[in-house]
Amino acid sequence: METTASEVETAWAVIFDAVSFGLVLVDADQRVLRWNGWMTRHTGVASPAAIGQSLTDAFGAALPASFVTAMGNALRYKLPVVLSNVLHRGPLPVYAGLPPANPADRMPHAITLTPLQISPWGWCCLIQITDSSRSISREKVLQRHTDRLSREVMTDSLTRTFSRGFFDQFYHQEFTRARRQGTRLALIMVDVDYFKAYNDEYGHPAGDKVLTTVAQKLQGALMRSTDKLARYGGEEFAVILPDCAQHNAMAIAEHLRQAVLDLKLPHSRSGNSNQITVSLGVSAMLPGDRCDAAQLLISADQALYAAKAHGRNCVQYRDPQALAGPP
Amino acid sequence: MALSEQQLDALTEIFNIGAGRAASSLSDIVGDEVLLSVPRVEFYRANEINAGVLSLSSARLGSVKQQFRGPFTIAASLLFTEERALEIVQEMLGSQVQREDLVEYEQEAMCEVGNIILNACLSAMADTLHISFESTLPEYASDTPDVVIGRIVADPDNPVMLILHMNMTIEKRRSQGTLIFWLSSASLDQLVQHLDQFLQRV
Repeated sequence: METTASEVETAWAVIFDAVSFGLVLVDADQRVLRWNGWMTRHTGVASPAAIGQSLTDAFGAALPASFVTAMGNALRYKLPVVLSNVLHRGPLPVYAGLPPANPADRMPHAITLTPLQISPWGWCCLIQITDSSRSISREKVLQRHTDRLSREVMTDSLTRTFSRGFFDQFYHQEFTRARRQGTRLALIMVDVDYFKAYNDEYGHPAGDKVLTTVAQKLQGALMRSTDKLARYGGEEFAVILPDCAQHNAMAIAEHLRQAVLDLKLPHSRSGNSNQITVSLGVSAMLPGDRCDAAQLLISADQALYAAKAHGRNCVQYRDPQALAGPP
Repeated sequence: MALSEQQLDALTEIFNIGAGRAASSLSDIVGDEVLLSVPRVEFYRANEINAGVLSLSSARLGSVKQQFRGPFTIAASLLFTEERALEIVQEMLGSQVQREDLVEYEQEAMCEVGNIILNACLSAMADTLHISFESTLPEYASDTPDVVIGRIVADPDNPVMLILHMNMTIEKRRSQGTLIFWLSSASLDQLVQHLDQFLQRV
């Protein structure tokens, strides 16, 4: 089938008006050569009224300095320019619906400026304007989902401290960082004494409540925002202390023990007193130590068992170097 | 591949002119003074490049890439750590946006910042050397440093890397970015020829 040049031109004009984004072609003096249907639908300015006008006159509004600079650069250096809807809040007066309820309420949009050399006009600049409102709302929804899910995964549902999953990830990350940066790292394991007996005596709902209370007390007693408390499992908690020396970790552990004691939670079947107490095991790594992440964790656990063996309601220390073996 | 001191000085000067242009565009956007400078320019072979050489250590790197074509071809990328990108975007937006909302904006914003910086550097080169370039639109990518750098050095046609370390100051806070221009040996020869012509003129 034969098509004439003018038929092709008409076809392109129809397509130009049908596309779902704004297209404006301006010459080197920034006078409008073409203005598509999308532009008319979202500015209220018809193509014949815009053609031949400067951009400012076509839009009937002053354009922001950043847009003017970008246009100038695109035409001067003949290099394409992007304007995101992030760094420019609605630079052009385009609206989702006309007339706009509020002229300040512009459609959020992103702009691409492409310099083109087109035979009848010489150097021109093609301005493409895309509506970003849908991608913005979609991203917001996705972000909210992501935030909620990561919060859920990171948080222990009973005590609202960090979860075991978070602990595993954060501990690995902090251990690697301490190794790389040559800093110290300490761990405290905390276990509620005679907790099974407490559950047997007062029932599981009361046991859950005690765990939550103890967790909140431990959390409140941690002063440094870098220290992270996680529920390690059952009635056991773990504290990761980045860049913390042995004597500081011991002092913090002692402070935690005292904080739980101060709660004065009654426990008639406690083997060592008449209230809820905790045993704590501490282990700390020095920059030059040869131990690995698992060995530091095992030493803290061994220190906790030592505290249990030592009569509970106390703090014990184990050196991770003891597990690392000879150099 | 060894460039003379004079040639390297000329390139550093060209990129500082570009940095000045980019800073002026960025200042327009931020509405506050943005300072950019390129203290040094270095050449490397692709196989010498790693995250250490580029002074970029981070879990993820972002990159904005444009291909420039003229008398010679340059593939240009701006690389930055994602932490720095977030900070840059936060400083550019000021208090308009909450920090937690920034992640969704970071890519678009950095794409624009990269576009401004790359265009400014290459337009300064074009003006100074009396040549002209055309360019593709900027493309944004983000990945682990190994993947990002691996992709760059994997291009066998472009074995020469020109690395610019760029300092950026927004609202009195300093950040660093790294610009990588990678060229074929033939393009490097062309660049050197144009530099020599420029040096003869001055």
